[in-house]
Amino acid sequence: MKPVIILLLLTHIVSASAAEFSCTITSNKGEPVAEAVISLVPLDAAAPPVSATAQVEIVQQSQEFTSYITVVQSGTKVVFPNHDTVQHHIYSLSKPKKFELPLYNPGQAESIVIDIPGLVTIGCNIHDWMITHLVVVPTPWFAKSDAQGSAKITAPAGRYRLEIWHPRGTMTAKEITLADNSAANEVVTLTLKPDRRVRRALGAKSGGY
Amino acid sequence: MAFRIFRFRRFSTQLLFLLAGLFAVVQISVYLLVARANKNNAIEHIDQNLRIGAKIFRQNLSERIDFLTGSAKVMSADAAIKPLLMQDPVDKGTLRSTLLSYTERVKAPVITLFSTEGELLALTDNVLGAENVGPFRFLIRQATEGDKEQASGYSYLGGKLHVLVVVPLYAPFPTVAGWFGLAYPIDTAFANAIKNTTLLDVTFTSNPDEPNLRVLSTTLNPAMAGAVARHTTVTKDASLRSEMLSLDGEPYVTLFEPLELLGEAPARIALQRSLATELAPARELEKVVLVISLAALIAATLAALWIARGVSRPMQQLAGHTKLVAAGDYTQRIELPREDELGQLATAFNQMTAGLAERDRVRNLLGMVVSPEIATQLLQSDLKLGGEEREVTILFCDLRDFTSFSEKMPPSEVLALLNRYLDRMSTIIERHGGVIDKFIGDAIMALFGAPVAAPDAPARAVAAARDMARALESLNAELRGEGRPMLAFGIGINSARVVAGNMGSKTRLNYTVIGDGVNLASRLEGLTKEPAYATPIIVSEATLAGITPRPFARELGEVKVKGKSDAVKIFALTPKGESRMPYSV
Repeated sequence: MKPVIILLLLTHIVSASAAEFSCTITSNKGEPVAEAVISLVPLDAAAPPVSATAQVEIVQQSQEFTSYITVVQSGTKVVFPNHDTVQHHIYSLSKPKKFELPLYNPGQAESIVIDIPGLVTIGCNIHDWMITHLVVVPTPWFAKSDAQGSAKITAPAGRYRLEIWHPRGTMTAKEITLADNSAANEVVTLTLKPDRRVRRALGAKSGGY
Repeated sequence: MAFRIFRFRRFSTQLLFLLAGLFAVVQISVYLLVARANKNNAIEHIDQNLRIGAKIFRQNLSERIDFLTGSAKVMSADAAIKPLLMQDPVDKGTLRSTLLSYTERVKAPVITLFSTEGELLALTDNVLGAENVGPFRFLIRQATEGDKEQASGYSYLGGKLHVLVVVPLYAPFPTVAGWFGLAYPIDTAFANAIKNTTLLDVTFTSNPDEPNLRVLSTTLNPAMAGAVARHTTVTKDASLRSEMLSLDGEPYVTLFEPLELLGEAPARIALQRSLATELAPARELEKVVLVISLAALIAATLAALWIARGVSRPMQQLAGHTKLVAAGDYTQRIELPREDELGQLATAFNQMTAGLAERDRVRNLLGMVVSPEIATQLLQSDLKLGGEEREVTILFCDLRDFTSFSEKMPPSEVLALLNRYLDRMSTIIERHGGVIDKFIGDAIMALFGAPVAAPDAPARAVAAARDMARALESLNAELRGEGRPMLAFGIGINSARVVAGNMGSKTRLNYTVIGDGVNLASRLEGLTKEPAYATPIIVSEATLAGITPRPFARELGEVKVKGKSDAVKIFALTPKGESRMPYSV
């Protein structure tokens, strides 16, 4: 997945002179927030369209999604390869895209394309504990925060709407301006809800409440 | 009783032992009764709690069954599982992973799915194994045969006790497309949950008749649980459903209940509560009661001591005073300002002392008023009228012309002279063993031989008469010296058998003698006035006859006594037997 993003970024870097934007995201408790999605939506010009061949995978393995959050530019083809031993039934009831991929067997790879930006939460109909998030953004300039809560984007100079997404928080946005050959830095604080997940039953033993 | 077993020398010790002992007995009895009642109460209370606990346990299981059944029904209606079952062949791996997802939803750790043919399609428990799901098939058969929408029961799954339910998977209702089986373990966690609700210890054991007895789950430690498992019910108290078990040296009230299993001998539930735990608050109270009892006992002992001293001190005081009174000291009085019986006793004692003192005084006075012999006679004998016949010598002595004599003198001088005369005569009479019967004005009546008999009474009387005559002589010599007129008397003596005794009215008595002999003596005294006889002392023949040797006496002739035919010979007697007259008449 990462090589794909870098590939996308590279295509734009060569076309124009670029600015370095870095962002640090912390929670309201002061801890760095990883796996937050930041994106820069251009305000002065239309964002360049996504390439027709662009494709991102959300893998199912060991009855889990292998990623917690995935970010794509709208129009990107999202593939759900089943690398598992059991069937899965992927679905979402999120606003940008309501869909389901009924039971499909290991080895199969169903795909969808989402055009509307937003947060799409995806689950498995038969495995309650399986959950993953897909952030669809109308821009090729996006990144995910690392364990230190920092993310870097290289984008052409201009005005942008900085959008920060996190599954446990509401989207925050603010306007920023990037100048040529200069670095901009932002620190954003997110208020996150507690991380609640369905416990995975392993069936190793009987007993317990 | 205590007094007979222990002999106490002191009353206070008796009282102390009685009061303190009684109090201690009462306190100890009360304490023991209360302790016993507490224990019985606690056992009954535990028994009740155990019954309630058993009900709660059953209720809990029944709720668990209802919950499992309800969950299973919702689960079986879940659309997600239906596409899986539509596949042919059924993807058992996916099915199992789906059921695992359900275990979290319905909180049942074991979920199975059977085909209508009874084939096990999926089992969430990977330890249990397909060979252990027999009880589910048993229930499915039950439900199928009974055409029921659910079936439930208790059974071992893989050796562990579980509550099981089966519900059909309708597709669509009422077509049965498969069977869901859910199981929930009756394990230590479950036992602990029961304990949390009921505060009772819970132990599940296999059937007591099983050779390989097992503790399935328990809230007790393994050793105690083992003992519970091995326990065989012997006899039961009719009123209680529970039994008393000693575990680890501590008594536990235990209730055994069977838990019916599917197709095999029932397992056993033991609910119990430690008697010591139940009794702890009561024991605490008993300790307080014991302390209070001891304090009360000490207080009672002190009170008893105080009361005993309050009684024994006046007693000792009384004893001391009694000794004084016995020694003749009537002057002491007990001061005991009390209202009670002891106070009354002290008052009575004081009155008694006063009475004794009064009697003593009366006795002394009596001795002066009457002669000591008569006084003794009066005090010794019951004062009653009547007398006895006895031989008495009576002496009458009368002053001559004392009436005319007294008219010439002032009365006080007359009395002084009379007393002086009577005193001398009395002294002489008493010296001779005579008794003054009475003074009759200036006359003296004296008795010899009464009230105390004396064989020589006549001789004594005669001797006394002579001494009296001599005493009169010396008195007259004194009187002459004083320039006063001289006295002359006459004495008559007779010895006779007379009646002696108390005479008079019921309220006023005199000891005296009556009879002809007395009259004769008086008559003889009167005869001394006869100038012809020329003697101051005339005695009768009877008196002279009573004296040995018979004294010399001048015979005066015979006189006739009134009422008697016989005449009595009378004699004149001179002092010392001399023939001439000792004095002029």
